[in-house]
Amino acid sequence: MKLALRELRRRPNRFIIATMVLLLLSMLLMFLGGLIDGLIGNSTGAVRAQSGNLVVFSSDAKDSFLRSRIDADLRARIEAVPGVERTGGIGIIQLGARVPGKGPRELVDTALFGYEFAPKGVAEQPPPLGEVYADSIVKAKGIREGMTIELGAYRSPVTVVGFVSDTNYLGQGALWGSAETWRKVVDDNQSAQRLGEGSFESLIVKTAGSERQVRDAIDAATQGATVTLTRADAANAIPGVKEQRATFNQIIGVTVVIALVVVALFFVLLTVERTALYGVLKAIGASSTTLFAGVVLQALIVTLVASMAGAVLSFALDALIPPGSIPFEMSMGRVVSSTLFLIFAAVVGCAFSLRRVLRIDPASAIGGSL
Amino acid sequence: MFLALKEMRRAKARFGLFMAAIGLLVFLVLFQQSLQNGLLTGFVGGLRNQSAPVLVYSVDGRRNLQGGVVVPDLEQRVRAVEGVGNVGRLSLSTFTAQAGGKQSDAAVVGYEDIALGAPKKLARGRYPASGAEAVANESDAGNGFGIGDVVTLEPGGFPITVVGLARDIQINVTPTLYVQYGTYEAAVRSRFANAATILPNALAVSPAIGVSDAELVRRINAVSSDLDALVRNDAANKAPGVSTVRQSFSVIFLLYGLVVPFITGLFFLIITFQKSSSLTLLRAIGAPARKLIDALLIQVVVVVAGGLALGIALYAPISQQQLGGITLRFESSAVVFWIVLLLFFGLVSSLFSARRVLRIDPITATTGGGAGR
Repeated sequence: MKLALRELRRRPNRFIIATMVLLLLSMLLMFLGGLIDGLIGNSTGAVRAQSGNLVVFSSDAKDSFLRSRIDADLRARIEAVPGVERTGGIGIIQLGARVPGKGPRELVDTALFGYEFAPKGVAEQPPPLGEVYADSIVKAKGIREGMTIELGAYRSPVTVVGFVSDTNYLGQGALWGSAETWRKVVDDNQSAQRLGEGSFESLIVKTAGSERQVRDAIDAATQGATVTLTRADAANAIPGVKEQRATFNQIIGVTVVIALVVVALFFVLLTVERTALYGVLKAIGASSTTLFAGVVLQALIVTLVASMAGAVLSFALDALIPPGSIPFEMSMGRVVSSTLFLIFAAVVGCAFSLRRVLRIDPASAIGGSL
Repeated sequence: MFLALKEMRRAKARFGLFMAAIGLLVFLVLFQQSLQNGLLTGFVGGLRNQSAPVLVYSVDGRRNLQGGVVVPDLEQRVRAVEGVGNVGRLSLSTFTAQAGGKQSDAAVVGYEDIALGAPKKLARGRYPASGAEAVANESDAGNGFGIGDVVTLEPGGFPITVVGLARDIQINVTPTLYVQYGTYEAAVRSRFANAATILPNALAVSPAIGVSDAELVRRINAVSSDLDALVRNDAANKAPGVSTVRQSFSVIFLLYGLVVPFITGLFFLIITFQKSSSLTLLRAIGAPARKLIDALLIQVVVVVAGGLALGIALYAPISQQQLGGITLRFESSAVVFWIVLLLFFGLVSSLFSARRVLRIDPITATTGGGAGR
């Protein structure tokens, strides 16, 4: 073990290129991870922030808020289901917002939510007509507290009275207002999609008992007129989320395999180079386990150094990316998981050297090339 | 040449592992290239392959066809612009649909004139003539959007018959149906019975004779800051999300592109270290440095080419697949680009090893030492 550490200290040049390759691979893993976290976080925040644990859609909506309709009768049937503790209607309209001081073509993408049941971080009592809480992401677009912005072609005015965080929907800055504010803005801008009084696009439900049982009971009580999803499933049902996650995870998986092959290649080559030296070490009593442990230790240290440097560079990249451009979100969780993936790849990659270490005959030290 | 290939034959594991690493990297890069292009085509193919040379949105639409409406006053102002040839309404609405016995999403695009917003070219079938008929995206044909299939829009139960297919006309990675404007309005009313007026999401415009597309765009945008006119390719390239997808993939390609020469450089540098005694001996018995460098470069080319071949072999079958709603394609130009780039960088990265070979002093064969010492 000491020998392995001493080699790393005294001949760091030998490990520099391998470290560089692993650094690039760790950056790739972290960048891919940060990208998928940013994409999904930016799309699903509004659903993840809900205080209720179920989201009810009409069955013909294919889990889309925009296509779902829950009228007052249907809502009454849902509220009568045992285990339903509280319900709150929710509706969305996605519009461009005109911001004071910005050019006439510089609109900000927003999604206005009308809510009855406050999401986490949003005031329990919805603000009065014409007032909204905004997601803090819109600060980067110049929106400030107390500012009145105009939504849509009909320029419906809403005043921002505070900020909340991590509540965006499909990459658009969320605005949280009362159901009346939402209805007014829909009436102004998309009257064709106006819903009757008491109707909402979806219903947020808080359950008292088992989430699954209540979910099934709601759909049974409405005789299939609804599809009820857990909060996590509703977030996954947002267009593109499932597909993005699956695709990126596959790419991350193949990148880990590449890291594994690279580590294997590097340490197989190093082991080949050290065959004679290992023969001597074995001849003077070093066990195969000790020698292999040294290889693994070196791989771990190289991987950790590369991962740490990769993390620093990824966080620097995160800081350099302007808000609202690439949806990139670095987190410690992502750094830890990427590092663990690389460590796994390093250890498994090293195993390719094990056979070579075991095959070294101590007798080769006598009359060998040394 | 002989030595280079013989060495590779004798050290199959090490050269094989290296080739596998390069092959996997090439596969990933090419797969992601297809994914990027498929994603962009799925998002905006319908805009790129529609017939109108200029699209006019309201600024509020944020260049998203479904995102805004062109109010009557703005429509009149566009029609009055000097240099406007023909103007047609263009709208998009997304529905839940029953297609091929399954529930599916369906984007319905309504156009007034085949020359203003319909698919530019049909792959099969014909354009809608009368009634509720549609042209669908060719790659969705197997999912209940083939010629003769009836797609039923929910919740109103509005049936549309597919009579034609066109290539790459999806919008928002959703099966897309192009219908006449009257059919579109009827479809929207089947869902929103209260809809009094259905305003167009955009206007499809062609220039009068003697006016260029770019000039027409300039003139329309000068009329009102609420109008956002774009030529066809800009409408596709400047649609929301397109630049983000491109930027994200560019960073990924850059990182993968850097990994390949690093691995190549690392591999051959180590190999050169390991062979230093033999290389010194070869130099001592008269082998010219040029010959040793040639052998090195041959190995680099063979191994990188082998990796490229392996990567392309893995990529070819995957590139024929459908990934969710995204149609992947074998990107020949991307393949050629990466072959040239990776071979070039592979050779450049091996220059470090070549430098070591050149520095070998044959006299060290008699005194010990070599390239790596």
